[in-house]
Amino acid sequence: MTSVQTGPAPTGALAGVPVLQLAAVRAGYGRIDVLHGIDLELHQGEVFALLGPNGAGKSTTLAVASGQITPSSGGLLLCGRDVTGVAADALARAGVCLIPEGRGIFPNLTVAENLRMATYTGHSYHDVLDLAFAQFPRLGERRKQTAGTMSGGEQQMLSMARALATEPAVLLIDELSMGLAPIIVEELYEHVRRIAASGLSILIVEQFAHEILGLADRAGIMLHGRLLHTGPPASIAGELSDAYLGADHGAPGATSSPT
Amino acid sequence: MTNDEHTDATGTMSPSRLTQFEAEVGKLKVTGGGANPERLGSWWGIGLTILGFVVAIISFWNALDSGANNTDTELRSQIFAVIGVGIAIVGIAIWVRNSLTRYLRYWIVRLVYEQREQTEQLIQALRDGK
Repeated sequence: MTSVQTGPAPTGALAGVPVLQLAAVRAGYGRIDVLHGIDLELHQGEVFALLGPNGAGKSTTLAVASGQITPSSGGLLLCGRDVTGVAADALARAGVCLIPEGRGIFPNLTVAENLRMATYTGHSYHDVLDLAFAQFPRLGERRKQTAGTMSGGEQQMLSMARALATEPAVLLIDELSMGLAPIIVEELYEHVRRIAASGLSILIVEQFAHEILGLADRAGIMLHGRLLHTGPPASIAGELSDAYLGADHGAPGATSSPT
Repeated sequence: MTNDEHTDATGTMSPSRLTQFEAEVGKLKVTGGGANPERLGSWWGIGLTILGFVVAIISFWNALDSGANNTDTELRSQIFAVIGVGIAIVGIAIWVRNSLTRYLRYWIVRLVYEQREQTEQLIQALRDGK
């Protein structure tokens, strides 16, 4: 399958090599395996939407991709290099950035103080503020406001701004729409659309598909810790109702379709 | 490195950022991918402690069996006993270090969540009071 990529064409040694790849990943929490052999490729400039019902293993997949969970078997590869077991902070400094579910901001710090957290990559404080406020002017108006007192949408903007200020090469977004009004979600996805057009590789997890299928190059459906289908959003849309309404895709013997 | 080197005014990522990313990934130290290193460290600590005590106990019995006049064997047994106790101390230190790391990690995560929860409750109370 040929994916449609919105960003600049891959260059040099990166051509054809996935920016991020999960190869036969099994992972979980303690003795409980949540992922049962995930194969996933994210190419340069691609937006990959990972869909599935609650408890399918989507967030765990992002935790593996960001280095927060080390797979019990299988591997995490960046630009073709096996980086399984590398600490999450090292991956973040290299350019793999996660916007976690529930925003992950510090509610008792101000907007500017939250953005200061993004200086760990070596960018100056002023660069971080300039970039964040250029993309989200509303945050500039509220730079001295305590982050927890802002609306949910503004908090999510802050979370996105902080992530983008680190100038990531791979962006992982977990449940952007969680707890937000549809109109706010639409606005946030407009930002994601702009970011995607800049050539960033984005792996985005969503429980509700409608918002995301419009901007994804490829999508995959997860169920019971397995990636059941991957393909263009149009082909995935038809499979979604089965996955959400409990068709027995997760039964033993079900296999992942090739990416 | 500044943002301007890799992004233009609209935030568009340049190919040099990709090259830089590839170089950064190349520099990452791959540790081999052991899941849950603290748990592994704790098990190593416990294992070394047991091994140290076993060596010390065997040396003690060996010294007892050697008889009163066999000073060479007694000296050797004492040396092995000291080595055994040393291994046990190292094992205990490794176990304490890894257990503390695990405990403190959970503690700080809990602290962050509790603070977040309290702040949200406070904000909610302020909103309800308006």
